[in-house]
Amino acid sequence: MKEHDNKITRKSFLKAATATAAVAALSTVFQPTLKAFAQTTGSKPKEPGQWKSTTCQGCTSWCSVQVYVVDGRAIKVRGNPNSKVNRGNCCSRCHMSLQQVYDPDRTKTPMKRTNPKKGRNEDPKFVPITWDEALDTIADKILELRKNKETHKYMLMRGRYSYMRDVLYDRMTKIIGSPNNISHSAICAEAEKFGPYYTEGLWSYRQYDVLNTRYIILWGADPLSANRQVSYYLSAWGDVLDHTQVAVVDPRFSASAAKAGEWMPIKPGQDGALAVGMAHILLTEGLWHKEFVGDFNDGVNKFIPGQTVNEEDFTEKYTSGLVKWWNIELKDKTPEWAAEKAGLPVKQIVQVATDFGKAAPRAICWVGGGPAMQVRGGYSSMAAHALNGLVGSVDNVGGTLAGNKEYTVSFPKPDDFMDDIAKKGKKHKKIDHRGRKEFPALKKGKPGSAVITNNAAEGILNEDPNEIKVAIAYMNNFTFSCPQTERWERALTKIPFLVHITTNASEFTHFADIVLPSVHHMFEKWGYVKSMGNGHRHVTLLEPVIKPVWDVHIDETEIPWLLAEKLAEKGFDNLQRHYREYKDPETGKSATTEKEFALYSLKYATHNLWDPAAHKGGDKFSGWEEFKKVGVWNSSSYPYRKRWGKMKTKTHKFEFYSETLKAALAAHAEKYKTTVDDILETCNYQARGEQAFVPHYEEPYLWGSEKEFPFIHVDYKSRLNREGRSANCPWYQEFKDLDPGDVAWDDVAKLNPIDAKKLGIKDGDNIKLISKTGQLECHAKLWEGVRPGTVAKCYGQGHWAYGRVAAKEYGKVARGGSNNEIIPADYDRLSGSTAFYAVTRVKVVKV
Amino acid sequence: MESLEHKNKTQLSEKKISRRNLLKAGGAGVAVLAGATTVSAKNKSKGKRLAMVIDLQHCTGCGGCAISCKSENNVQRGNRWAKVETTTVGKFPNVGFKSLPTLCNHCENAPCVKGCPTKAMHKGYGDITMHSPEKCIGCRTCIAMCPYGVISIHIQETHPHWRSDDALIKGCTSSPKEMTEKVKGNVIPNYNPAREEFREGSGLHYKGIVEKCTLCDHRVTKGLLPHCVISCPCNARIMGDLNDPDSHISKLLVKYSPRRLKEHLGTEPKVFYVREFNPSATKSTKGTV
Repeated sequence: MKEHDNKITRKSFLKAATATAAVAALSTVFQPTLKAFAQTTGSKPKEPGQWKSTTCQGCTSWCSVQVYVVDGRAIKVRGNPNSKVNRGNCCSRCHMSLQQVYDPDRTKTPMKRTNPKKGRNEDPKFVPITWDEALDTIADKILELRKNKETHKYMLMRGRYSYMRDVLYDRMTKIIGSPNNISHSAICAEAEKFGPYYTEGLWSYRQYDVLNTRYIILWGADPLSANRQVSYYLSAWGDVLDHTQVAVVDPRFSASAAKAGEWMPIKPGQDGALAVGMAHILLTEGLWHKEFVGDFNDGVNKFIPGQTVNEEDFTEKYTSGLVKWWNIELKDKTPEWAAEKAGLPVKQIVQVATDFGKAAPRAICWVGGGPAMQVRGGYSSMAAHALNGLVGSVDNVGGTLAGNKEYTVSFPKPDDFMDDIAKKGKKHKKIDHRGRKEFPALKKGKPGSAVITNNAAEGILNEDPNEIKVAIAYMNNFTFSCPQTERWERALTKIPFLVHITTNASEFTHFADIVLPSVHHMFEKWGYVKSMGNGHRHVTLLEPVIKPVWDVHIDETEIPWLLAEKLAEKGFDNLQRHYREYKDPETGKSATTEKEFALYSLKYATHNLWDPAAHKGGDKFSGWEEFKKVGVWNSSSYPYRKRWGKMKTKTHKFEFYSETLKAALAAHAEKYKTTVDDILETCNYQARGEQAFVPHYEEPYLWGSEKEFPFIHVDYKSRLNREGRSANCPWYQEFKDLDPGDVAWDDVAKLNPIDAKKLGIKDGDNIKLISKTGQLECHAKLWEGVRPGTVAKCYGQGHWAYGRVAAKEYGKVARGGSNNEIIPADYDRLSGSTAFYAVTRVKVVKV
Repeated sequence: MESLEHKNKTQLSEKKISRRNLLKAGGAGVAVLAGATTVSAKNKSKGKRLAMVIDLQHCTGCGGCAISCKSENNVQRGNRWAKVETTTVGKFPNVGFKSLPTLCNHCENAPCVKGCPTKAMHKGYGDITMHSPEKCIGCRTCIAMCPYGVISIHIQETHPHWRSDDALIKGCTSSPKEMTEKVKGNVIPNYNPAREEFREGSGLHYKGIVEKCTLCDHRVTKGLLPHCVISCPCNARIMGDLNDPDSHISKLLVKYSPRRLKEHLGTEPKVFYVREFNPSATKSTKGTV
């Protein structure tokens, strides 16, 4: 400290001298003088701790962050200034990670169940055991399946992951010999990818060029609160608002709506109607982007409401099927029609569509999970995303962009380590029923390729196609995160041997036979993830910035290694031999311990990023040590318009008439020797004939009659949710009122005061929300930011396990009620996605 | 002994400033002449007058300031040095929702300082409204005097939840106390020792006395920005010296029409709000009658 003081003094002495000179010379009294002082205070003193780089996976923004560590203890967090994606920022939820890693309710040792009875009301009576006993028991169970040649009865369930996932999720499952690795993806937002894929061949989330845009429609997306690149958009938004108009389509008033010019409180599920209505306006008003879409040959707009157009009269440039789309779907979808369906004023729809069109091509239609994660939501996702095609913002400056190129590599192939038992086992059908006639699950154009997470519960319950005898699950909580949770409670009760790898004893853990305590991803794990924003992609490392607090291991690498060791001890060494292939690129050595394996496998996957000899692009490092310290690799900046004419669709163009979807549906129909129309009927879609191949309106499909269940439930995500894992953090509860309309230390359902008055409900009343499939209890909040006829409730509360803060009484009484208790299990079957929005009708009862 | 040390440190930092005063005086004078701010430019304290501008257009109401403040300052559950106050206005579908981040205003004319019988509340480095725990008798006059509700009291020992011996699952999970001991924290596991310097060797707060935002005095006296400023992902918090007319905040105060909370009380707050939480464009209209 003293040295430092001296330094300043010395500096200020010199400065003073120069400053005085400046005053004399320029006779502008203050400026140079004070600049001099700004500099002296700006000199950076040393702090006693160290900022260490890692990654926050609190949400799927996956920000590169740094943790301040003093004497091996994590004190505070900040964004990693080395990232070009989150640019040194982290959002409010990142700070809560401190209360997760130091959560007293973390499992500190492996444990086993001593109460053989399973159920929500059964205390598992967990007792601590050693890692050796735990792994020994698990290995025996797996070997028993192998001995009986029923390895397909093994199942791996994955929740949140890093890109080390395939070690455990893919390779281990395959080498044991099961088809049943089931990810959580379909309860995330797969249907959000459906629209971009079947229009522009992009099965991915997008990044948005907000600093260059002029109009943004946030459609069921709330980027100032949740998903994705929250911290980047938080940091950019103040500047964005200087030059950009923002409209928000959402039945409830969101955090983003609070800073927007237009709130369009749409009737839940009518997104498709609004989207095709807006497309109709853009065409009839001649507001499409000619450079991208093309024009009428004679330059005269023939898109006249109700009138068919000759395809030959229009020459398209980088798009395909515009006139077909108009003729099949758009010509009659007038603003008046859309307004009636959407429950919005005609004037507002016309205004927003027109301003959006006038801003072309710097106009973004930002399609979030809202319109997509609905029964039939795949088509709303297409319809809303197609607006980007009309205004030519796809892959364009100020528009909607794909991910930049990155150079990580996959792990070695498992094939050579799969014996006959494994090969035969893997040929069985998957437990989630993907690819069946009623579940086309058309990921990337391939029938039966997308997971149907929530349907795995049915598979387990009905032993269809087979029973599940041994299951391992990690970083997931399907008994909390999947709609109609009681199905999962029954399904897990049915599995004779269930292992849960977790930080906290959650609602899922409650049904486990063996519990393996996991590291906290941000503080104690080796791994990497990739994400995009600000025109860049980053690959950011998860690093053990502190020693693990307890006797815990890394879920995705150390635990499979330890299990592979145990299996080898007992005579099955295929998995261990496979893992030895993941050699340290620096030394060529195979791992000999779980710790080495965690590190080598990471160095293997990211080799091209840190080894200057293997460099392929983006940031360059001198080697592993430097990469580790910096913590993040950044891609080069975004190459605009490179995909124009080279999209991964059948026509290589942006498809308003999706040849790509037509082929995918035809392939699925062919599999069942039937017609596409029959498939659509089986899967609960309304489109028939050509309509199935264009973005179009489908009526929402809601569970329950309006008479019995008069309200539509609106689910949304909190700005403090760390994906359902933060409710045990006291800061989550203390600051819950940061979510518009919400209340600290409470779980409230928000009703419009008009509806509440009719029901005689007041602020703070105990109420029940009852749907066709379940009910929950919480408090009422009267709030103007809710559309009359709807009840808005945030996801995240309602834990009955997880910890002393999350639950009112651990294992017994929930704090509020989880939305998934009332949402029925239903799907957008074309994408396999679970429906969360516009699917549940409820009645509200005062308790 | 400890309190003496504390004093010495304060003096040290004051000395540091005084060396610069010679030059400062000139700068401040110009600010007055130029009428640069709507703020009273009387240069009460020599040296810096630290202040904060909160740019509401940049603020998103995310709460990063308020939550990170708790980690920096070891603030216990229930107490908040920084807050985000929210208001919903209008009727469906014409609705507005505003967030207003607040903290101690470090008033030039601070009622808490005036009211404090023991001078525990006093003006410190950079005109920060400081609190000396060793002088505080917990009379709570400051709480009664402060019109902004930003001072809290510790009735019990701090962080009572972290003193518990109860484990959720015996032998399998820890008690809060065990967690803190395991990681060698201090009552709380993520205890920040940086708060110790100006607090009698403890970064925690004491039973029976008050606490409030000190503008991260432990940081700003070292030339570091307050943690809430660093943590704001929206860049809505801008810190600076009012006595420096060339500082970024002085420029902002000239450019915009700054507002302060409860201006009419004459407390002269040094937290200024500029621009609008929702600055969206409006259509030209003459309205109707």
